[in-house]
Amino acid sequence: MTTITDTRLRRPAWSAAGPASVRRRWIRLLLVAMVPLALFYFAWLLQPERVGNPVLYGLLIAAELFNACQALGFWWTCARERPWRRSAWHDLPPAVDVFIPVYDEPVAVVEPTVRAASEMTGAEVSVHVLDDGDSDDMQLMAARCGAGYIRRAEHEGAKAGNINHALARTDAPFVMVLDCDHVPDPEFLEATLGCFNDDRVAFAQTPQYYANWDRGEVPAAAWGQQALFFGPIARGKDGHDAMFCCGTNVVFRRAALLDVGGFPTESVTEDFELSIALHERGWRSRYVPEVLAHGLGPEDMASYVSQQQRWSRGCLSALPTVLRSSLPLRLKVQYMLSASFFLSGWTVLVYMTFPVVRLLTGAQPLASTTADQFLGHFAPYFGLSLLAVTVLGGGAYTFKAFALQAASFWIHVQSTVLTLLGRRGGFVVTPKEGVVGPQPRAVAPALAAIAVLLAVAGYGLLRDRDPATLNNVAFASLHIAVLLAGVVPALRRRPLPLAAPRPHPVPT
Amino acid sequence: MTTTPTDHRTTAHRTRRHTAPPPRPRAAHPQRSRRESAAAVGRLAGEQLAVAGGQVGAGVGNLLFALVAARLLAPSAFAELAAFLALYLLIHVPAGSLSAGSALAPELAARARRRALKGGAVVGGAIAVLAIPLGALLDLSPLLLLAAAAAAPTAPLLALDRGRLYGLGRRTRAVGSLLAEPAVRLTIGVAFAAVAGAVGGAIAVVAAGWAALAVAQLPSGETAPFRRAADARGDDAATRPRTGLAIAAFLLLALIQNQDVLLSNALLDGDEAGRFAVLSTLGGAAAFATTTVPLMLLPRAGRDALRAALGVAFVLGLGAVAVVAVSPGALVTLVFGGRYEQVGALVVPYVLAMALLGVARVFVAHACATGRARHAVFVLAPVALMHLVLVVALGDDAAGIATATLISTTALTAGAATIALPRPRAIRIPRELVWVAALALGGLVLRLLATRGIWLDEATEIHQAQMPMGAMLENLRTIDVHPPLHHIILWGTIRVLGTGELAVRVPSLIAATAMIPLIYAAARDIYDRRAGMAAAVLASVAPFAVWYADEARMYALFMVFALLAVWMQIRILRGDGGAASWIAYVVAAAALVYTQYFGLLFVGTQQLAFVIAIARGALPLRRFVAWTALLALLIAPLVPFALDQFSANESAGRGFQQPSQAGGSVEPGAAPGAYAALTNLAWAVLGYHSNATMTALAAMWPLGVLLALSLLGRGRSWPTLLVVACALAPGVALFALGQLKPFVFEVRYFIGTVPLALVLIARAVTSWPRRPAVVAGACAAVAAIMALGLADQQLNGSNPRVYDFKSALSRIEARAEPGDVIVFTPQYLDHVVAYYEDEGLKMQPLEDGLPAPRRGHKLFLLASFQDKPQYRTAAQDAVRKLSRRHDLVRRDRVPQIQTWEFRR
Repeated sequence: MTTITDTRLRRPAWSAAGPASVRRRWIRLLLVAMVPLALFYFAWLLQPERVGNPVLYGLLIAAELFNACQALGFWWTCARERPWRRSAWHDLPPAVDVFIPVYDEPVAVVEPTVRAASEMTGAEVSVHVLDDGDSDDMQLMAARCGAGYIRRAEHEGAKAGNINHALARTDAPFVMVLDCDHVPDPEFLEATLGCFNDDRVAFAQTPQYYANWDRGEVPAAAWGQQALFFGPIARGKDGHDAMFCCGTNVVFRRAALLDVGGFPTESVTEDFELSIALHERGWRSRYVPEVLAHGLGPEDMASYVSQQQRWSRGCLSALPTVLRSSLPLRLKVQYMLSASFFLSGWTVLVYMTFPVVRLLTGAQPLASTTADQFLGHFAPYFGLSLLAVTVLGGGAYTFKAFALQAASFWIHVQSTVLTLLGRRGGFVVTPKEGVVGPQPRAVAPALAAIAVLLAVAGYGLLRDRDPATLNNVAFASLHIAVLLAGVVPALRRRPLPLAAPRPHPVPT
Repeated sequence: MTTTPTDHRTTAHRTRRHTAPPPRPRAAHPQRSRRESAAAVGRLAGEQLAVAGGQVGAGVGNLLFALVAARLLAPSAFAELAAFLALYLLIHVPAGSLSAGSALAPELAARARRRALKGGAVVGGAIAVLAIPLGALLDLSPLLLLAAAAAAPTAPLLALDRGRLYGLGRRTRAVGSLLAEPAVRLTIGVAFAAVAGAVGGAIAVVAAGWAALAVAQLPSGETAPFRRAADARGDDAATRPRTGLAIAAFLLLALIQNQDVLLSNALLDGDEAGRFAVLSTLGGAAAFATTTVPLMLLPRAGRDALRAALGVAFVLGLGAVAVVAVSPGALVTLVFGGRYEQVGALVVPYVLAMALLGVARVFVAHACATGRARHAVFVLAPVALMHLVLVVALGDDAAGIATATLISTTALTAGAATIALPRPRAIRIPRELVWVAALALGGLVLRLLATRGIWLDEATEIHQAQMPMGAMLENLRTIDVHPPLHHIILWGTIRVLGTGELAVRVPSLIAATAMIPLIYAAARDIYDRRAGMAAAVLASVAPFAVWYADEARMYALFMVFALLAVWMQIRILRGDGGAASWIAYVVAAAALVYTQYFGLLFVGTQQLAFVIAIARGALPLRRFVAWTALLALLIAPLVPFALDQFSANESAGRGFQQPSQAGGSVEPGAAPGAYAALTNLAWAVLGYHSNATMTALAAMWPLGVLLALSLLGRGRSWPTLLVVACALAPGVALFALGQLKPFVFEVRYFIGTVPLALVLIARAVTSWPRRPAVVAGACAAVAAIMALGLADQQLNGSNPRVYDFKSALSRIEARAEPGDVIVFTPQYLDHVVAYYEDEGLKMQPLEDGLPAPRRGHKLFLLASFQDKPQYRTAAQDAVRKLSRRHDLVRRDRVPQIQTWEFRR
């Protein structure tokens, strides 16, 4: 017996499966109850006498409406969740080409993926390492594992180009794409191929599980965000037939890929744009809520920032595509919700601005109201929203995940500006191994925001200590606390160990 | 071969360092039969009783001398003699602790005699030199001080030699020395007093001391009738007593015995100090009777000797209690005169305190004799300090000081027993239990220190509880709105302890203190050890736990029963404890409802949780039905009672409306909103504060958003969900009900939430941070915030919950004369005014009109609830009218109360 050190070889500590039907009914009731609460709040907020400083009020309304749309979209998505039952492939085991795109990742990271892919059952599997890093070691490893090795002369189109190049050199009716750090379970194909019994299904997506979630605060928080998406949101999108491809742990029907000309190579989020293209052509998608592959999430702040910058640039730049698309309205709204999520950083910026402006100038967005009135209308809406996130996320979405997201507000702002300026983003591979040591540059904008909030709060307290000032200082403190919780992992010399993972003994 | 004591110490030191510690002396002869042991105990008890008899005889003789002198001398001369005797005692009591040292090591007497004589002479010389100024200061004749100076050298010598006699077992000589004193006083002293007055009596007292010393020092051919236990075991060096520590221990005992008398003169006014002096004299007799018991025990360390000494101490102590308990009032009247009759109510508890001190002295002696003198000092020193603090804190009257002494001697006896009694090896007290005990003790002291005057509702309940039981229940049924449990408890309390401020709050004090170990046990059982300790820390300083410990109302009980009921329900659902958990749950839930009708909200929430558990198959339906039926059966008798109350109040047009105790933070009469919810939440965790503070706290509500966000992704175990549900549901229900009847939404009515909130906070601070240092820091920070809240709650005069009737009325009484009138408003202050008014002044509510006092007499107008327009207007009108015909002499204001003094 030996003890596993590669976290990807452990059993998953999370289940993507949805709740039982009785619970689902309760959740729907909860979501239905939220709508009148939201209306109650906005009916109060949008009354003309609430207008304080017009500019600030406008910003507040914009931010609140944006968040309300996101929240309503979230509830609408989650309310459509449909029960999942695995079905078997109805015919003889089909041939499946497994593509593992590689750039410059260490062989040690890729090898377990290749080996595990080769051992998948339920199909005639051909594993191909698509090496854009031109590494001989990688080639040797592929040979060692009995996998195919494809190298191209021109490295155009990044990951999308790499896959398209491989598509032209293979011919199996199904294509599976795995990021090189995602180790599949043997039954991956058995669990997913059943979805293709329906000839209209173009791809079946499975969760992108971060097996290294307990390796530090950053992967834990990043996983908290992932878990919310691959839990209730992805299940709900599946209910709307609107699940989009996430780039890994996905099986495609080759015919569908060929129908849209392969992966789009102009985008840094090729998977998102590919999904739009497929849905536009009438293809369907399925989500399989089972953890069937174990990957690695970003382990340090710089990796996380890099990943988020890529996603937000890609999704925001896809917004015009979504708007122009000929998708059915339901699907269009679903894509809009997903893409526009990366504008939410602006709302954080707006909320942070209010106490600063109030403490410095005395201007505030709302007028003719009391704390009692505001709380009476806002608290039920806010409280139940949090409860909904907690219940729907099954507790996987944590405060740290929220704080990390809030502290990344600047990424959304930056991406919006760059997208509007028409700057093209490059495809940057998320590093698979974390860096030990502080990374203050990765969180510099958030640190600057904290410094401003601290200074203004101190100034406010020095100037006055009336209830209104205290209230705004408390708001500033709230933002400081959330931002701090988000940036602290980047300032530690060593990652703070989470609950010690219990290694599973496996036979050698 | 002979060895010096130094050799012994060296050997003992080496032995302790290089070998296992010697076994504790359990018996001199472990193999003896039970009969032999009983015989030994009987023999030792006989010796003890013989010496104690001498001591009692000496006491009786000295008392006789005092009584004869009282009749022989003129009152002023007797007062002088009494003052001299007090001074004499002051010199002898601390010196008496030397007896402990020489009893343990008789050879010490010979070696220390010269130094003792020098010390006594120095003290005597100092008194002699300062005789004239001291005499002027104490209003005593310098001759008496010179006599005291002459007595000073005898004090340490006598103590050393008597201790030596006890140590050597020369009990006949010891008894002789004890009896020599009263013999001389009753013969020479009476004659001298008759001839030379107080000075003559004093000279005889000094001579009696020297005579007692002479008897003690007479040469004798007697040999020691017993060998010291250590000698008998042959390991004298290993268990050599630490005489210095033993002396320190007995000095601390003397301090605990006497500091209340010394302080009472400083804290109390003349009459009250006199009352305590009477009490102290009677209690002193009980303590005096057992003085020799520990000294006799010291050289006889062993189980038999301990049993014998304890038996004698119990017999003498309980005998003293029994004697005074027969008719305390009559006894006091007989011995001290009718003016002290009211002291009678305090005699039994105070004599009990002194009897406990006698028992504690035995334990301390045993600890000193068995090498645990250091432990004894560690117990005695904090108790002495606690006694000092309590006496100062409660020393408003004789009853307060007596209570302080009873609490301290009880704690001392328990502590001394813990260190003295042998413990089986299998039973080891975990360190955390010691910490919890310390927290409970600290919490008790905090609750005793945080005193305030009697509040309106308390006064009403005290008034009701003074009625016969049937009348009280009828009164409750017809005009009150509360269930009867706390009233019944108070009814019993008043009959045992009286109606003093502290006495009526004893049930709340006990409940709020018991909450500390209870919350520890609950949180430990529900979560883990750290959560338990954190909860105990928080409960010890929780502002509400302290506030309602100091209120003779049902709220402390409410908290305890709610906590117990929820804890037991969790045990039931977890499958722990079987029938015991069910019984405890049913009793706690029923008691909760009998304590406060709003307790039904907690019980209802719990029943709902049971139903959910049944639906999920986590609880057998049959068992639930059976136990719930029992609960319903227990609550059933309350239903007609409650219905009667409701209909009586409805027909009187009152409904269940009560005068609101709310301060100005929440607008009275308005339907509660989010701000009221926040305010109640802040009250529950941080206590009552001034309106300005509450406004500032409420303005910090965005931090509540942070708290809500930080709950994202936290574990949601079912026990936590149950505790949260039980903590929130009653408040939410009352919030909803408050939209119709605003006064019901007040934290008092769902105060059971407070201990549950503390459990949740404790869980959060111990489970959210991962590093132990951060956990400790978080716990300390929360406790510090609560302590800050507590300090502001108790000390800030702007706290709108503080109604200082006590100060207002005591100021009035200080200025009032017979024939003066107190007029008060609102009318329902009648009970609280009557509670504090004990000078026989005429009182009437303003609603009955303004009386016209006779010329030269005063009228005091006392007004409270001035935040309510109708009472404010009434008071202002009355002041205007009175000002036309009377002179406004004085205006006074204490928290929530205004007074005006008019003279005609």
